[in-house]
Amino acid sequence: MSKELIRLADCGMRFDGETVLHDINLYINDSEFLTLLGPSGCGKTTTLKIIGGFLTPTHGDVLFDGVRINDVPPHQRQVNTVFQKYALFPHLDVYDNIAFGLRMARPKLSRKEIDTRVMDMLEVVSLKGFEHRGVTSLSGGQQQRVAIARALVNRPKVLLLDEPLAALDLRLRKDMQQELKRIQQQMGITFIYVTHDQEEALAMSDTVVVMDSGRIQQIGTPEDIYNEPKNAFVADFIGESNIVDGFMRSDFQVEVNGRRFDCLDKGFSVNEPVDVVIRPEDIDIVSPEQGKLVGTVTSVTFKGMMYDMIVDFRGFKWLIQTTDHSPVGSRIGIKIDPDGIHVMAKSEYSGMFGDYSSFSEEYDELDDASVVLEEEENGDEE
Amino acid sequence: MKKPSNGLNRVFMALVFLFLYAPIVVLIVFSFNAGTSNAVWKGFSFEWYEQLFHNRMIMESVYTTLLVSLLATVIATVVGTFTAIGFYAMRRRTRAPLEAVNNIPMMNADIVTGVSMCLLFVAFFGFWNDFAEWVNNAQDFMTLPSLSMGFGTLLIAHISFNIPYVLLSVSPKLRQMDKNLIDAAQDLGCTWIQAFWKVALPEIKPGIVSGALIAFTMSIDDFVISYFTAGSSTSTLAMAIYSMTKKRVSPVINAVSTLLFITVLVLLVVVNIRDAKQAQAPTKQAADAGEQNSPLKKIALGALACLVIVALIFTGQHGNSNRVVNVCSWGEYIDESLIEEFESQTGITVHYQTTDSNETLYSLLKSGAGDYDVIVPSDYMIARLISEDMLAELDYSAIPNFAHIDSAYQHLSYDPENRYTVPYTWGTLGIIYNESMVDEPITSWSAMFDEKYAGQVLMIRNSRDALGAALLELGYDLNTTDEAEIRAAWQLLSDAKQKGVYQAFVMDEVYGKMEGGNAAIAMYYAGDYLTMLENNEDLRFVVPEEGSNWFVDAMCVLKTAQHKEEAMEWINFIASTQSNLANMDYIYYASPNTDALAEYPDYYFDLYDEELDRELYEIMVTPPEVLERCALYENLPADTLRLYNQLWTQLGI
Repeated sequence: MSKELIRLADCGMRFDGETVLHDINLYINDSEFLTLLGPSGCGKTTTLKIIGGFLTPTHGDVLFDGVRINDVPPHQRQVNTVFQKYALFPHLDVYDNIAFGLRMARPKLSRKEIDTRVMDMLEVVSLKGFEHRGVTSLSGGQQQRVAIARALVNRPKVLLLDEPLAALDLRLRKDMQQELKRIQQQMGITFIYVTHDQEEALAMSDTVVVMDSGRIQQIGTPEDIYNEPKNAFVADFIGESNIVDGFMRSDFQVEVNGRRFDCLDKGFSVNEPVDVVIRPEDIDIVSPEQGKLVGTVTSVTFKGMMYDMIVDFRGFKWLIQTTDHSPVGSRIGIKIDPDGIHVMAKSEYSGMFGDYSSFSEEYDELDDASVVLEEEENGDEE
Repeated sequence: MKKPSNGLNRVFMALVFLFLYAPIVVLIVFSFNAGTSNAVWKGFSFEWYEQLFHNRMIMESVYTTLLVSLLATVIATVVGTFTAIGFYAMRRRTRAPLEAVNNIPMMNADIVTGVSMCLLFVAFFGFWNDFAEWVNNAQDFMTLPSLSMGFGTLLIAHISFNIPYVLLSVSPKLRQMDKNLIDAAQDLGCTWIQAFWKVALPEIKPGIVSGALIAFTMSIDDFVISYFTAGSSTSTLAMAIYSMTKKRVSPVINAVSTLLFITVLVLLVVVNIRDAKQAQAPTKQAADAGEQNSPLKKIALGALACLVIVALIFTGQHGNSNRVVNVCSWGEYIDESLIEEFESQTGITVHYQTTDSNETLYSLLKSGAGDYDVIVPSDYMIARLISEDMLAELDYSAIPNFAHIDSAYQHLSYDPENRYTVPYTWGTLGIIYNESMVDEPITSWSAMFDEKYAGQVLMIRNSRDALGAALLELGYDLNTTDEAEIRAAWQLLSDAKQKGVYQAFVMDEVYGKMEGGNAAIAMYYAGDYLTMLENNEDLRFVVPEEGSNWFVDAMCVLKTAQHKEEAMEWINFIASTQSNLANMDYIYYASPNTDALAEYPDYYFDLYDEELDRELYEIMVTPPEVLERCALYENLPADTLRLYNQLWTQLGI
């Protein structure tokens, strides 16, 4: 890719003696679509605000094009933001909202230039004809577009997006994901995108930064993050995963539930305890005789394209996604190809994730996350 | 269960509204009454509105009220808005207690706020003035001014009680505002200040406007706090109205009150329409706002507002000479053209204030709120003020007109050496009765205690006068300190009350009741009888044969007066024969000026082109043989005063 644009060097943030961000090191390339992904309270929005200039890091440097910008106020940064819930100016119409930044620009822009740029931008976000509508009369999706247009019209080098799609319904969210990606490619601007929705992150990003408890857990392409999670937290947060205890018997040989499986991982010491990630869709169901492991189906949920089955292997419950229906109570065997197995070193997150004993709650976690987020915000506003 | 019928509902609603609005309707109707009465309708006229606009005291107070309300509103709105923003930026743990503290002044009784502010100002000014004197004596480079209560303190008080209202209406708007708006504006190139003006301010503007409107209404309305903080030289409309009630409730009050009611009504309607519009069509408003905010219109509005305030300030400073005199008297107790005449003759600005009773005046003086130069208390109060060393000796060489004062009104018991006073007016207390409602002419105090007139008698609501009548009826001295005699008088009064002799104990209500023929007999002052007579020809006045009280109101100068020289000039002017004639004709109270008394019949003839009715004249100017059986009130010893109070309370009115 192209050259580096923004770098956070050992950036940390403390509020009231509480560390919300531990020494973050991160660089962002020009024209990159980078996503900060993590549960609420992980520090992703704080990171974004540091880049936007709304917060000054307690220590560490923020570099823009190699220049330290810690003390540059927001209005002097070549960065614009699309805020959570858009933060449109209710007393202005669509046109004036979008023109707001241009009118503040120094040196002054001519009326004509402002008009041309606003109209062009309305075209880009498909809102032609809405210029003189009040922003409060627009639908969520339209408001979203206004917010994006309002930021982009200033031709920033970097656009920061703080959970911009969180307030939209699923269908609209999918459309807007496409739309955002299209805009980003069309305009060639760096996007730094904050979300707690892993699907969104995987679908749109060039680079995903997974964060938790104020620390970066993993940086990588969506494929890397999904296929090669670094620890149990990442494995669990990105998609569904069975994370089980295992022992590395030798290179390419891992033991789970007393059975040895072939795998593609190496470089661990012999007999090292490890976390083994097995994605639910990577498990093949076979007859009990052929199975490497044999278990009992304890629940089946129809999901449209496939079934979610919980299978009990000697007390450990795994999630298996399959197109073949097996009734509850039946005994099945499973086999796993070597590339379906991912071995991770033990970490502080080991044992916290990937157990489907309490399946239903686990599974709803994603939806809960957005609810919690809402509540927190309301709490703040109080 | 059956629902109550619709008809009943409506009747009930109608009754509620009648209950709420009947008094105001009556007020408005009588503001257009041609007569002076509040009970008898004499035809439609704008007379009182005309008088209102020519009434200098009221117009000045209207001006003061508007100026103080506008300034206080503007300042309180600005301060309140920024305070609200400060609160908004705080953490909740810090903010919650502060907001609670903010709410306390609103809940607090006005009287407490008023008194405490008065105390603070008095204490501070006392300290400051001592300090200024010390500084001024110690060096010659600069002179520190001495401070006293006035417009400034009034303004400070109004600002301080307005701020919580502004805060209360701005804070919720701030909390409703999206927290990210300011960030968003900064993100788009605004500095924090620009972001505030361009984004936050329009968002919270509805809150600011309604806060300002509430503050303005509260300011216009306020009486209690103003009363304690305005000092002697300033008075608001509410204070002016209140002080007018001492002597005679002029229908001008109806006119003022009507206008005040309409002003507040209009403001309320404006506020409500605004709120309704916002609730109804926020989007439309948002769309309109774009056009409304055209810079030209903004500038025009701002300029207009500035112009109004500047105009108010400048017009208010007419006759802004350094020489002033602060006078405190009673309502409707001077021919106001005299004030203007005095001002044009001498160039001294007169701040003419009024209070409603001797006791109020006394408490004002004691609290320090009444820093007047000239006061006009009644005889017994003068004695009390002298005994408490609150009056200054007059410089009679500066008051040559004192020579015109009849010797009968000099060296009276309250000021035996006549060192402190120049009499203003005098008069008698007596019985007013309706000829058509009694069998025979009333001549004795016994009528006030006679069962024959049960339910027809109005007793005066004032312990000294009511017990005085009983003392005289029993043949005792008006100023007795003998407890047994006073208790006997009380018994007489109490028995009569038990028997239902009294329709009511009244002060100003006496006018309406006697003029309207609602009561047969009342006890009141001669001068006021003459006013009532204009509205009801059947009324008669008598000074009972047992004798009565006669009173003298006299001008005195306070020991603390800051304009003693001007005070002497004022007193001399008012003591002149011309002034006395004008006052006599205007207020119907007798003058102490020998020449004025002698010239009045001719003066009357010149003025009205008709003979003065001698009989009525003798009621106003009680002849010596009648006055002989009357006595002045003396300042009673503390024990006796206590007894009076205690007995009066026992009477249970």
